[in-house]
Amino acid sequence: MSGALIEVKELFKYFPIYAGLTSRHVADVRAVDGVSFAIDQGETLGLVGESGSGKTTLGRLLLRLLPATRGEVIFEQQNVLTLKRRELRRLRSAMQIIFQDPFASLNPRMTVGEIIAEPLRIHGLANGKQVDARVRELLELVGLQPYHANRYPHEFSGGQRQRVGIARALAVNPRFVVCDEPVSALDVSIQAQVINLLEDLQAKFKLTYLFIAHDLSVVRHIARRVAVMYVGKIVELADRDALYRNPLHPYTQALLSAIPIPDPVLESRRKRIVLTGDIPSPVNPPSGCRFHTRCPVAFDRCSREEPPLKEYAPGHFAACHWVEEHQGHAPALT
Amino acid sequence: MPLLEVANLRTTFRTEDGPVTAVNGLSFALQAGETLGIVGESGSGKSVTALSIMRLLARNATVTAAGVTFDGENLLQKSELEMRKIRGYKIAMIFQDPMTSLNPVLTIGEQIAEAVRLHLGASKREARDRALEMLRKVRVPAPEERLGDYPHQFSGGMRQRVMIAMALSCNPQLLIADEPTTALDVTIQAQVLELMNELQRETGAAIILITHDLGVVAEVCRNVLVMYGGNMVEYGTAEQIFGTPRMPYTQGLLASLPRLDEGEHRRLEPIQGQPPNLLRLPPGCAFAPRCAYRMPICDQPVPQYDFGEGHIARCYLYDERTRDQRPAAADNVPIVAANRL
Repeated sequence: MSGALIEVKELFKYFPIYAGLTSRHVADVRAVDGVSFAIDQGETLGLVGESGSGKTTLGRLLLRLLPATRGEVIFEQQNVLTLKRRELRRLRSAMQIIFQDPFASLNPRMTVGEIIAEPLRIHGLANGKQVDARVRELLELVGLQPYHANRYPHEFSGGQRQRVGIARALAVNPRFVVCDEPVSALDVSIQAQVINLLEDLQAKFKLTYLFIAHDLSVVRHIARRVAVMYVGKIVELADRDALYRNPLHPYTQALLSAIPIPDPVLESRRKRIVLTGDIPSPVNPPSGCRFHTRCPVAFDRCSREEPPLKEYAPGHFAACHWVEEHQGHAPALT
Repeated sequence: MPLLEVANLRTTFRTEDGPVTAVNGLSFALQAGETLGIVGESGSGKSVTALSIMRLLARNATVTAAGVTFDGENLLQKSELEMRKIRGYKIAMIFQDPMTSLNPVLTIGEQIAEAVRLHLGASKREARDRALEMLRKVRVPAPEERLGDYPHQFSGGMRQRVMIAMALSCNPQLLIADEPTTALDVTIQAQVLELMNELQRETGAAIILITHDLGVVAEVCRNVLVMYGGNMVEYGTAEQIFGTPRMPYTQGLLASLPRLDEGEHRRLEPIQGQPPNLLRLPPGCAFAPRCAYRMPICDQPVPQYDFGEGHIARCYLYDERTRDQRPAAADNVPIVAANRL
């Protein structure tokens, strides 16, 4: 695909489980199990899924913060997964990450100024007086004050810390940023401040985002396209409006219908698809389609055969046998 | 007579930095069988309110109130022994984290049976039967086999079902659920909320649902109490709170929320600034420092204004005396007749 900044091909990540006295390899957590997609230059791809779906692992694989089991991640014509150390370091200034927990992701013994200056020094982007000037500039960019540079993380609220994390990520002028649940730990009134900031920065620096979240309302707001993960696989991928208005996969439908809307009048009219059962374990995922154990329209083929991710409308992909056998129509579940 | 009436509740914690005021003069009432949502952000005092009612706070807390009347009795005057007979029997509580609130070394069956034996004086056999019945009611699959399982053998959603089973095992009159679905995934949250609704219809228990999720409140609650800086800033039916919010904080919360039913992309309108420091709560409106419509009078204690049909908000914008002081920014906030209480 032309215009793709990053392209992921058949990416896998298995975490081995060892047990017993001899630490025998007994099984694998199949966190990411064959995932392919591309992100265009300047767009925001939303990645949603429930706990254990593999979305966080996927984000880390793209930056090679975790080694992949196999697959390819092509970023600007280079395979990230086979780069030598020195090349990888250079690449890290182009790809950055913002973490979920603003309390755990900032070193409590460093001042905010030191935290933001560290990547500048490592990548040789500034030295001497330039560093301080750049730190001040970055703090102002994310809506903090220059004097905040001398303070420690514990002196800041959650929202302010998340701004520090954003300033640190932007210090090296990245082109691609993985935002891993960047607003999940924040209160509603603060969440909106950070979302607006991320949008402003994207417009200003032409950033490309992979926005990982479990909150589908936030993703709908910020993303142009959305991928839905379930137990290590992408089950649906589409433009935002197509996905929210006409979800094809039964899981996407159930997921959307489960989100409460803050409007009691609307809520009382809504029909909800309540799924039975729990999310399966990625250690022993169900055979065939992983969703078949909870799917209201599953039939015999679903437990035998794994459905491929197929394009049913331009840019609208889904992995579902039911949809395939019904010429790309979604099952009516409500 | 309301089932629960809280009058001028004030809870402070002694800390190294000085007294922290977590609840600051809160009053509200709850009818039998009602579902009340208490919403607010972290530090607004919603959980401390629940723990103050249940008298479950640590020793550095001081709770005072004109009264916390439950079923005609003042809970604050009860001895610890008397409180133990109320907790888990007449008032039950569900916590956010179902892992830390279950005993890891007792089986699920023993834990549910414990409350039944203690409060209802049931025999071992009766208590076991009741535990089984409750597990069946909260739709834990294969309940006979799972009675002997330990908490770690259950998933998060299943543990929360066990907590609900335990809480409802003695038919409480009031169930306080503190963020019961926050730790759960949305598809599991939908299951748990549906279950709570169903069980309430069946048992007629009143529910106080504490949450920061306005969507959950809209789905489940009849009445809503919005807290900020340790006190109620608005109270009304869900339709009133979401349809015609009066307090600028409530309005701000709703405007700052990305919504699933959002149409064209719109810019979110965040509330500026940070939540108040509970060590130094302002004497007037706690929201004033972040409020776009702030007036000089906002530094004075704010009375409640009644908008009719039980809708109450604490905000000087609706005081007749401030009509000519309203800032230009408040032009889009309609002037509504309200009686000062």
